Amino acid sequence: MATASSTLAVFFPTKTKTTITRPHSHSHSHPLTIKASSNSTNPPLQGRKLRAAVIGGGPAGSSAAEALASGGIETFLFERNPPTTAKPCGGAIPLCMLEEFNIPSHLIDRHVTRMRIFSPSNLSVDFGKTLRPNEFIAMLRREALDSFLRSRAESLGAKLVSGLVTNLQLPESSTSPYVVHYTSDNFRHSLPVDVVVGADGANSRVARSIHAGTYACAIAFQERIKLPDHKMEYYNDLAEMYVGNDVSPDFYAWVFPKCDHVAVGTGTVCAKQNIKLFQKGIRERVKHKISGGKVIKVEAHPIPEHPRPIRVRGRVALVGDAAGYVTKCSGEGIYFAAKSGRMCGEAIVKASEGGDRMVNEDDLKREYLRVWDRKYVTTFRFLDLLQRVFYGSNAAREALVELCDDEYVQRMTFESYLYKKLADGDRLQDVKMVWNTIGSLIKCNMVGSK
Amino acid sequence: MSISLALFSPPTQPLPLFSSSPSKPHLTVKPHLSLRPSKFLTTTKASAENGAGTSPSAATALEIQPDQKVAETPRQVVQKGESSVGANGSAGAVEIEEDNVLSQFMDPKWVGGTWDLSQFQKDGKTDWDAVIDAEARRRKWLEGNPETSSNDAPIVFDTSIIPWWAWIKRFHLPEAELLNGRAAMIGFFMAYLVDSLTGVGLVDQMGNFFCKTLLFIAVVGVLLIRKNEDLENLKKLLDETTFYDKQWQATWQDEKPGSSKN
Repeated sequence: MATASSTLAVFFPTKTKTTITRPHSHSHSHPLTIKASSNSTNPPLQGRKLRAAVIGGGPAGSSAAEALASGGIETFLFERNPPTTAKPCGGAIPLCMLEEFNIPSHLIDRHVTRMRIFSPSNLSVDFGKTLRPNEFIAMLRREALDSFLRSRAESLGAKLVSGLVTNLQLPESSTSPYVVHYTSDNFRHSLPVDVVVGADGANSRVARSIHAGTYACAIAFQERIKLPDHKMEYYNDLAEMYVGNDVSPDFYAWVFPKCDHVAVGTGTVCAKQNIKLFQKGIRERVKHKISGGKVIKVEAHPIPEHPRPIRVRGRVALVGDAAGYVTKCSGEGIYFAAKSGRMCGEAIVKASEGGDRMVNEDDLKREYLRVWDRKYVTTFRFLDLLQRVFYGSNAAREALVELCDDEYVQRMTFESYLYKKLADGDRLQDVKMVWNTIGSLIKCNMVGSK
Repeated sequence: MSISLALFSPPTQPLPLFSSSPSKPHLTVKPHLSLRPSKFLTTTKASAENGAGTSPSAATALEIQPDQKVAETPRQVVQKGESSVGANGSAGAVEIEEDNVLSQFMDPKWVGGTWDLSQFQKDGKTDWDAVIDAEARRRKWLEGNPETSSNDAPIVFDTSIIPWWAWIKRFHLPEAELLNGRAAMIGFFMAYLVDSLTGVGLVDQMGNFFCKTLLFIAVVGVLLIRKNEDLENLKKLLDETTFYDKQWQATWQDEKPGSSKN
């Protein structure tokens, strides 16, 4: 972070050259306030607004398009799938997303208030005793969420283009446009734009066009199973997590309730060719609870494991899964996708002063990447540490489940998850938690390795 | 579902699976699957082995299996019948059938999802060593034969019922003795060497900063490097800790003055 502060210092001198900087107020919900300090060295655009293309209409793309359109920028949102396509996904979003993105409650299928985690020896711990009555994990269908966000972006002024982007042509100079080549209604089109936001997911074509590098991916595999009513009752507000070498060597397997069925799935990074075996493993572990159910759909999707080597190049910025913003340990990506999309959109609005000026790579890095990294890199690093410590061996997983029985641990976990803020805890309890962690790890390693 | 159907029809099942050693880590699940037709027998085997005092493993189960093969074939036939019905009946929606065989850890001392401490009495007190051994054996068995979780018979045993002093007596003390022994040997030898080379006695050595550093390195070395593999593990650990951070910083690495393509 020392490099961050030193480069910030470089930018401050330019700010002092201006005579007046109007005091600006931050608002965390709509509408945006545009900071009107004209100290940018970018050339002003003559007679037109800045034009931006957002490739990919999922949570990241729609949030970016929303932020851009409400900031006064001419926005084009590209999406290749019709609105009813179901994206394979866990579908769980934290409370803070409902508030920050004004998600209406009719989109939520289920309120999960209990979670159960099962160790390799099937020792189970109930999470959720510490939840307050208004706290829950919202489960929703991705197609419902995605179309809602997309139509909201459209209503704010973004132009929705249904088509598949085939190629992004890079410009020759700093003022020539990026050309987005896409196919729509079986015709080839091309659209010149000034700025591109790549929100097209794990196999991002935008990332490939700007040579952003590759990342390691986990594969998430799940089967949607329709259960008989009395078995579905059990999963009414309960989600289950299973850990063990039989269900995943480096991740967890889950049973998540959806609108009228459950999703039973697992994931892995290092043993992708054995994914079907792990799926059989999880089916074995929940055999009694899902017997008599019918598999209605089988789906799989890659999940990025870490950020791409390059996330901003030229006037192209990557957000969401395309950038690799998925946490380890829990595999959560929807909130970070939406938040990064919004942050990127707001960064472009600010750097271009409401669409009046051109932007460059430094603007994107300064206003979007730096802010994002500063805000979330600790969260991501911490979850990476948790994954390395607790998902490595069966003994460590047993220790994890034992630790989860503690109320303080549960409270901290849920608060950090639901509000994405480091929950303020009791120092004494923290020390006790660390002590118990070390103790449990040692004990379980001893019992497991004999 | 098709995978399990393939595994249940013996003619197509590769025979080597029956003789594959379950000690290979990534094959632990496969032997489990190949043994499924005989799970009914495995449960009795597990309890018999516990009585003999040896740790039950799939390998010993395999030895007993050929004798009882005759008994299993009717079971296999039943399952084939089930699975073929499933194959015919599926047309997009695959039914999940409940298999008749269950894999469960059976032991006379394992009651109601936990160890019955009253059966571990020795001289009127609970024999914690035996409890730890029993749990270690159970977890090892589960590695090769994962159990189905069940709402009616939840597992409630966790290691916190074993008192802290039992752990210390069993594991910490012998290891502490070993490490202290190593430290003492190294310390004596190094003190003698330094004395013979420089003439500085033990008490004067302790006052010297360089000697104190050597002492610190020796203690840390004895604590961290206990086996030959630990050197490699420590290096790997250091790399791993910084790897994720490097991936996040990668996008800032190519910040050179004239390189940004506008």
